[in-house]
Amino acid sequence: MSIETVFSSKGKVKILKILVEIGELNISEIARRARLNYTTTNQHLQVLEASGIVRHKNFGRIRIFRFNEKNPRAKIIKELMNEWDK
Amino acid sequence: MAIQPNIDRNEACVFMYSYSSVFKDEFKLDINYVPPRLPHRETELKLLNQFFRFTVETPGKMTQRVLVVGKVGAGKTVLTQLFGQNIIREAGKRGINLHYVHVNCRECKGSLFMIIQRVVLKFHPNYPKRGYSAQELLQALMQILGEQKAYLILTLDELDALIQNEGSDSLYSLTRVQEDRQIMAQRLSLLGIVRDMALLSTLDASTRSTLQRNIIQLEDYSQPQLRDILNDRVTNAFHENAAPSQSVDLIAELAASEGGDARYAIELLWRAGKYADAESLREVLPEHVRKAAASVYPTIRKDTISSLNLHQKLLLLGIARRFKQSDTAHLSMGEAENAYAVVCEEYGEEKRGHTQLWKYVNELSALDIIRADSSGAGQRGKTTLISLPKIPAAELEKELCKTLRV
Repeated sequence: MSIETVFSSKGKVKILKILVEIGELNISEIARRARLNYTTTNQHLQVLEASGIVRHKNFGRIRIFRFNEKNPRAKIIKELMNEWDK
Repeated sequence: MAIQPNIDRNEACVFMYSYSSVFKDEFKLDINYVPPRLPHRETELKLLNQFFRFTVETPGKMTQRVLVVGKVGAGKTVLTQLFGQNIIREAGKRGINLHYVHVNCRECKGSLFMIIQRVVLKFHPNYPKRGYSAQELLQALMQILGEQKAYLILTLDELDALIQNEGSDSLYSLTRVQEDRQIMAQRLSLLGIVRDMALLSTLDASTRSTLQRNIIQLEDYSQPQLRDILNDRVTNAFHENAAPSQSVDLIAELAASEGGDARYAIELLWRAGKYADAESLREVLPEHVRKAAASVYPTIRKDTISSLNLHQKLLLLGIARRFKQSDTAHLSMGEAENAYAVVCEEYGEEKRGHTQLWKYVNELSALDIIRADSSGAGQRGKTTLISLPKIPAAELEKELCKTLRV
């Protein structure tokens, strides 16, 4: 996935920002905070997960998303966002 | 100019004095404070450690369910919390990922869902708040424990609330959640706290049988035990000599008469200290204890006092005045009679004889206005010792003067 796919989308950037700030969250809560609808949020998260930046864990019906700490790109994005908000 | 620093120091002293307190560390009397030592609960603490020893020796091999039973203020909560702190420390030393979570079922409105949610939030603070059942949440908890290779001792304080609200089913699922995971490590142990064993009889037979194996019964504290507990707290919470033994003894006596309620005793101690502070005194007097007792449980009603006959009132007034002047916890029958004689003179009444007064003392004691105990060993002869545990003498005097004037 190209870099512009991630950074040209306001929704994806918002989602990444929320995950940097909170750590881990379920889809509904991410959607609420990002002021996006559930389906859009879900789609964004699918793309981000496919690129390895985020990953999810299932607890029964509940899916909880978080940054994929093992992915070097994810690390850099996290650092970038932390730096940006300083 | 040379005098200037001295003046400053004096001013500082005045300032310090005006803020001086009988307390050294008030937090030691807080309801949430867990002391490092629990007088007269050593055996029970050892027993708890024995029951849960496996969690630090062979974690994952088995689980445990223990019930702690005792009345209000018997030390159930503090006992389990101290045990929790100790076992977590021990597990930490051995590198075991053991958690102790203390949940009050009443605070959780007796709902299994809210109880488990509290626990899950400890592990995942942003776990969604709704959208699933208690059973799903319980499974999620087991999954979390498994993934983190963690072991959990879950203490359900005021378990009565859960049983009353949801009956047997919730407790049953909690006790049996490991059974379909027999091959995997056993991670969840339960520690229940109940006030009344009778409540267990409302559970179904299978739930009861899983719970009734290990029971730790906490007996009510006796008066000497309460005194030991209070002395322990006094040493930690008060300045030296700020809480004299006669005040502490009076508190122990009051709390023993309330069914050995240590929490009530500590509350009284704290309040009595506050009253002493309010009067800028350097020590807690029995009068402060009486004030504290009246403010914690206002038990004497005005109509009780106005329903007394004239000489009962006069006797009571004498007793109240004597207590107000003397700062002691007890009066002998003779002292009470003398005080009564003075009051009779003041009101121009002929005083009644000893036997009649002794009857009045018994009646007032039956009305729970005063306390009358027979003097035991340590005093020459035998007399009735009168104490005024429930109402401050000053307040009683004010009330009596009002009714006597009419």
